[in-house]
Amino acid sequence: MAGLIGILAFDKIWNINKFLYYGLIGVQHRGYSKSGVSLLSEEGLIRTTRASVAPEDLEFGELEGWAGIGYAGTLNYPVQGKGISMAVDGVLKDQEKFIEELEKDPIEAVKRAKPTFTFVAITRDGKIIAYRDYLGLKPLSIGGFGFDMAIVSSEMTSMNVIGGELRREVEPGEMVIIDRLNVESVKLFPPEKNYCSIEYIYQARIDSFVDEREIYSLRLRIGERLAEEYPIEADSVVGVPDTAVPFALGYSKKTGIPMDLGFTRTGSPIRTMLASDDFTKVVGIQLKLNPIKPAFFNKRVVLIDDSMVTGTTLKNTVFSLRRLGAKEVHILIGSPKLTSKCPYGVAVPEEKELIAANLPDDEIAKVIGADSIHWLSLEGLYSAIGHRSLCMGCMTGKYPTR
Amino acid sequence: MKVLIVGDGARENALAKSLSLESSNEIFALSSYINPGIKEIVDSTKGKYFLGEITPEQVREVISRVNPDMGVIGPEDPLFRGVSDEFRKEGIPAFGASKKNARIEESKVWARWLMWKYEIPGRLRYKAFSTMEEAAKFISEYGGSLAVKPAGQAGGKGVKVIADIQAYLSKDKRQAMAKSVNEIGSYYNKEGEPKIIVEEKVDGPEYTLHVLSDGNTIMPLPLAQDYKNAYQDGIGPETGGMGSVSGPGFLLPFINQDEYDETFEIVKRTVSAVEKETGESYTGVIAGQMMLTGLWGPTVIEYYSRFGDPEASAIIPRIQDFGDLVVRTATGHLSGAKLKVDERPSLVWAVSPLGYPLDRKLASGHRISIDLPKVREIGCDVFFGSVALEGSFLVTKGSRALELVCLGDFEESKRRLLKSMSFIDSDVKLIYRTDIGSTIQEQAEKAEIVRYTYTSRKSRGTLGVSADWSPNGGLW
Ligand SMILES: Nc1ncnc2c1ncn2[C@@H]1O[C@H](COP(=O)(O)OP(=O)(O)OP(=O)(O)O)[C@@H](O)[C@H]1O
Repeated sequence: MAGLIGILAFDKIWNINKFLYYGLIGVQHRGYSKSGVSLLSEEGLIRTTRASVAPEDLEFGELEGWAGIGYAGTLNYPVQGKGISMAVDGVLKDQEKFIEELEKDPIEAVKRAKPTFTFVAITRDGKIIAYRDYLGLKPLSIGGFGFDMAIVSSEMTSMNVIGGELRREVEPGEMVIIDRLNVESVKLFPPEKNYCSIEYIYQARIDSFVDEREIYSLRLRIGERLAEEYPIEADSVVGVPDTAVPFALGYSKKTGIPMDLGFTRTGSPIRTMLASDDFTKVVGIQLKLNPIKPAFFNKRVVLIDDSMVTGTTLKNTVFSLRRLGAKEVHILIGSPKLTSKCPYGVAVPEEKELIAANLPDDEIAKVIGADSIHWLSLEGLYSAIGHRSLCMGCMTGKYPTR
Repeated sequence: MKVLIVGDGARENALAKSLSLESSNEIFALSSYINPGIKEIVDSTKGKYFLGEITPEQVREVISRVNPDMGVIGPEDPLFRGVSDEFRKEGIPAFGASKKNARIEESKVWARWLMWKYEIPGRLRYKAFSTMEEAAKFISEYGGSLAVKPAGQAGGKGVKVIADIQAYLSKDKRQAMAKSVNEIGSYYNKEGEPKIIVEEKVDGPEYTLHVLSDGNTIMPLPLAQDYKNAYQDGIGPETGGMGSVSGPGFLLPFINQDEYDETFEIVKRTVSAVEKETGESYTGVIAGQMMLTGLWGPTVIEYYSRFGDPEASAIIPRIQDFGDLVVRTATGHLSGAKLKVDERPSLVWAVSPLGYPLDRKLASGHRISIDLPKVREIGCDVFFGSVALEGSFLVTKGSRALELVCLGDFEESKRRLLKSMSFIDSDVKLIYRTDIGSTIQEQAEKAEIVRYTYTSRKSRGTLGVSADWSPNGGLW
């Protein structure tokens, strides 16, 4: 899970470090426990900085340049070779070897490795090389900023943040090579579209366009599908911020049950699913989401969330809602059950940690303390998305590469 | 009739071709290098090709040797230098604005001033600066979105457009802009004239309306759109245009009839205003390079006093007997002339050697070869641009070498143009944009968005009303 970005200014008068900084913040919803950037100076020197902080807190120091790449995620990127620096979204096992080969001949290197990860790289001779995995598991887009810059990024959100414009999504299996004199596209593998369902369900930002879909509209449709599959008699629909709010909106529109804003936040958003230990998860949720009493008091509530891993988060939430006077709490999950680990680097925990992989529904409801609990069906997800070229490995255990 | 064509690019190639279709015309040409396309036409009509610098003196010299019945001036620079006046001085009709009238293009400041003086709709707020220091100071003071350009026509160079709505980046954007002011200012150097013009920035899809004017009658042509970014998908530095589309019909799919009429009205009023200021009737072509904006609807970005290139290659092949219209324009007989336009849209791709536009040296001196009959066989045509016939070789001159044209629906044309590219060979990598004409849907969406705004402004009587403010600079 990572956000990637690459920016190249056609005119070397630009110092793009601020663009890179804000652009990276524009994809930090994709992962933010670690971040880093590499910048190429006018003299042809690549310099990299990395830290275990969110992009917001990344110090650039003296780093300046007219082209560069950035990473926001959970791993230590960018990594630098001799005349190249790269950042990866996905799983790259033998870093050193791949970088060495990439530096020698990017096209050959990718052809040989046929990677299932997506990457951006910058070379000393002034090229940004971006490759999107042939399965389309990871998103990648290309855009521009006036006559001045080319931008590649995991999501268009980072283009918007700096005033640029999305041009198109890079195709699965396509490599884009950008330098001052050209923007070249090389189709290395025919696309075998297996778009990651998790991108649609919660990874991509709601103002984004990813994998051929407007994310906001798609998430409303998920809510509508939930309403069709599970019409519940209730007084109020609440979505767990941020991701599940559009689900709740869709559910409310379809059923006519009013939607309430059930939570407000303390501190900056920390995604509990990504938080590493149980303690942060428990404290994290209480820090993060403070339920608003009038939204729940004396009401039958449909509470919608985007996914459930261990159930800890939801258990705590349901507990708080009861304390505030909720008469009934029905839980709907805007995704099918997550039951398997992701081999492509999406942070779905091991099976043994996944409650849905270990307990039947009624037991889960008991654990959570809810009156009922339901998951969106696979068919429901297909229909909300509107196509079937999907990787649903974490829900079905079937992966495109096995 | 002997027609002398002045200029050396693809636009002149297209003009020459349209004139050569009238079998009694003999085409003569003056270029700074031998354009293979123009040469083909000159040879087949039994004219003569003159090589030389395109200066008033040189043109006088060629006029005296050819004794033409008419002159056609393609590019802007000769117009700015009074080349059409050289023809008229000899009593020879010319297709091309006079030096004074061409000022509407040459000086962006004069054009804006004129629009404000005559209250022509589609005008933008602007400031003119004579020194780089003043311009840089102004830019770093204002937080708004700006377009910074050379104060006059500089051949598509030096324009910086910066959206500044993201306040957190504004310092960097302004710094870069202030830094590039020196470069921008160097592109336009005329004694006693401002060097830099700063305008408010507007947004929306762009299009161009060309209008023929014979001094009494004016005739609007079908719309065209050119694509300015150098590289695929609308990314990259500014160029003179990497391709264009025109049609179907008189419109483009994202511009409606009212907008077309309004645009024509703007250009018409501009022609009157120019004539009033200069006291000379406008003979030739004038184009409004427009943007459909929320501020005004049709909004003028700049004027051309000649055909746009590559717009000419998209428009001319769609018009029946265009050569006849050129003659009528030059001779004052446009009144009553019929304009017959091919319904089918056209698609033009410019092909340039790697290096254009940022490293023209790299883009120069390469060999290109093209199997012309094969290209024509599949229904496309080629106009030659920045490429010279040297001996039996075609050698690149650093800019857009070829323009390929195809009529028909965009998808089919795209297929044929791709096929055409396979008949072209070169010892340098060739750059061309296959996305031209395939983003019509996106443009339509953009147009729809600005339409919401400008129709609401119209109903509230606030078309064109805008302002900027900064703590230090105040209101402008
Ligand atoms: N005020 C403005 N607001 C927004 N964009 C602008 C503005 N002025 C110019 N532009 C953009 O910059 C481009 C070039 O500007 P302009 O046409 O004035 O320059 P030019 O160098 O004379 O171009 P050309 O090659 O067409 O002669 C326009 O096509 C438009 O996209």
